[in-house]
Amino acid sequence: MKSDEPASAGSDAAAAKRPAAPSPQTELIIDTDVHHSLAAKEDLYPFLPSHSRERLAEHGLPRLGNVYYQNGGYQGIRADCLKSPDEDSAAARSSFSLFQEKLLGACGVNVAILNGELTAAFVTLADADYSADLCRAFNDWTVANWLSKDDRFRCALTVPMHQPEAAVREIERLGGHPGVVGIYVICGSPRLYGQRCFDRVYAACVEHGLVVALHFSGEGAGMNPPPTAAGFPSYYAETYLLRPQFYQAHLSSFLFEGTFEKFPSLRVVFLESGFAWVPAFRWRADTAWKALRSQTPWVKRLPSEYIDAHVRFSTQPMEEPASAQALGEVLEWMHGANSLMFASDFPHWDFDAPATVAQCFPAAMRRQVLSGNALQTYPKLHGLARA
Amino acid sequence: MASPALEPFPVCRTAELPPGSRRIAELRGISIGVFNLAGQYFALRNRCPHRSAPLCEGRLMGLVKADQAYAYTTEREGEILRCPWHGWEFDIRTGRSVALPETIRSKCYQTSVERSEPEGRVDTYPVSQREDMVVVWLPKPASTERARDRPGDP
Ligand code: FES
Repeated sequence: MKSDEPASAGSDAAAAKRPAAPSPQTELIIDTDVHHSLAAKEDLYPFLPSHSRERLAEHGLPRLGNVYYQNGGYQGIRADCLKSPDEDSAAARSSFSLFQEKLLGACGVNVAILNGELTAAFVTLADADYSADLCRAFNDWTVANWLSKDDRFRCALTVPMHQPEAAVREIERLGGHPGVVGIYVICGSPRLYGQRCFDRVYAACVEHGLVVALHFSGEGAGMNPPPTAAGFPSYYAETYLLRPQFYQAHLSSFLFEGTFEKFPSLRVVFLESGFAWVPAFRWRADTAWKALRSQTPWVKRLPSEYIDAHVRFSTQPMEEPASAQALGEVLEWMHGANSLMFASDFPHWDFDAPATVAQCFPAAMRRQVLSGNALQTYPKLHGLARA
Repeated sequence: MASPALEPFPVCRTAELPPGSRRIAELRGISIGVFNLAGQYFALRNRCPHRSAPLCEGRLMGLVKADQAYAYTTEREGEILRCPWHGWEFDIRTGRSVALPETIRSKCYQTSVERSEPEGRVDTYPVSQREDMVVVWLPKPASTERARDRPGDP
């Protein structure tokens, strides 16, 4: 043990031996954004056709291209999940027992929705067939190694959105699995997601009761446009605070392409988007529609009404305004009591624990945020609603 | 160090806490990190004032500064503790936030868990050496004290 590693003393050692029992808990907690990963490329071998297995063996797991930025924590995950920054984080990112202990156990999470963090690397590959093979293998690995081992884990499928027909095939192949609750889609994309080429994907989602979960990543990588329309920022902090623009671009596309008119039961979940921007976006979208309605006459209602009906946001990373009153106003303006869902982002460095997040919300909203809105949003979680 | 308001808790032998090292101990249900900075001892509550991470498990760093853009310098190696969750930095000598040292309000122990003042400081405790033991001094218990610290609890 290196001298600067924490050592336990006295009764703390005994504390470490105690099972990480959740605090007395009556609340159901649904975590909408948890990121699992592979320990090694070999994990995928059993699930790949031989030619793709050969390629993976020869070239290794794809990495997010040149612009990926230096994240916080150790290699992007919570520093208390590793012994030191030198330890390779792959094992922790893939550790079923670590997720059970630090998330399900220590935080009392009852349902954790897994969104594979290698998705961005897989779906920014230009080679359509190899990309689709990796997505399929990753999903099969997730079912075999997570969903089948603990039914508190659910997942959103990794699908190659840049080739919608392959995405549909994957949804049709695995979308009926009881633990599959959505598709996981990254914001980096050659095209905005409301555009008609994606309609077949949403039709398949609706048919299988899956939500579309959108999460930043992959902007500027592979075939995707730069991470901001004005250019490439230098530092991770910039990308962190500029994320809302990716979601805004896709949201305006969903609204004005009429996606929610075409798919009245479709639900789109924005993960890790922040949410304080939502009120301003709603107002501006409504203004634009009132003035320009005749250009998109298939948009029948105020954009803000579609947002209320179809779009949900997640809590992490929590907005931290200067006062609780300011947060209260944002929540009111965005109808947060009906639109916000808890997310931890475990095991990533900007993780939020449910107990502290709940404290940020008015008492009357907490149950909705911790579980109620997710139960209503994810069709395949409806059955979990407690009396 | 003896004070009617403080109570001593031996943590370990001095040999077990060499310079540059730390130990985390649970004293009267409170998780506390004890640090040896070049022979001087400091004790901080193992609970980040931001969102209750186990702060004292964080990395020990230097104080990274730049008097002008891009001119990085690092001083005071090993004296800054970075929270293992969202990376807030704290000065081990004072318990104060590095980013916002001036906004600190000194808070009494019982109110330090209030969420309404997330910035600021971590509770610190006096540490002394008694013969070959490292001893942390805690305020005598208040009735409102929580039974046990758990990461992430508000
Ligand atoms: S909990 Fe320590 S920085 Fe957030």
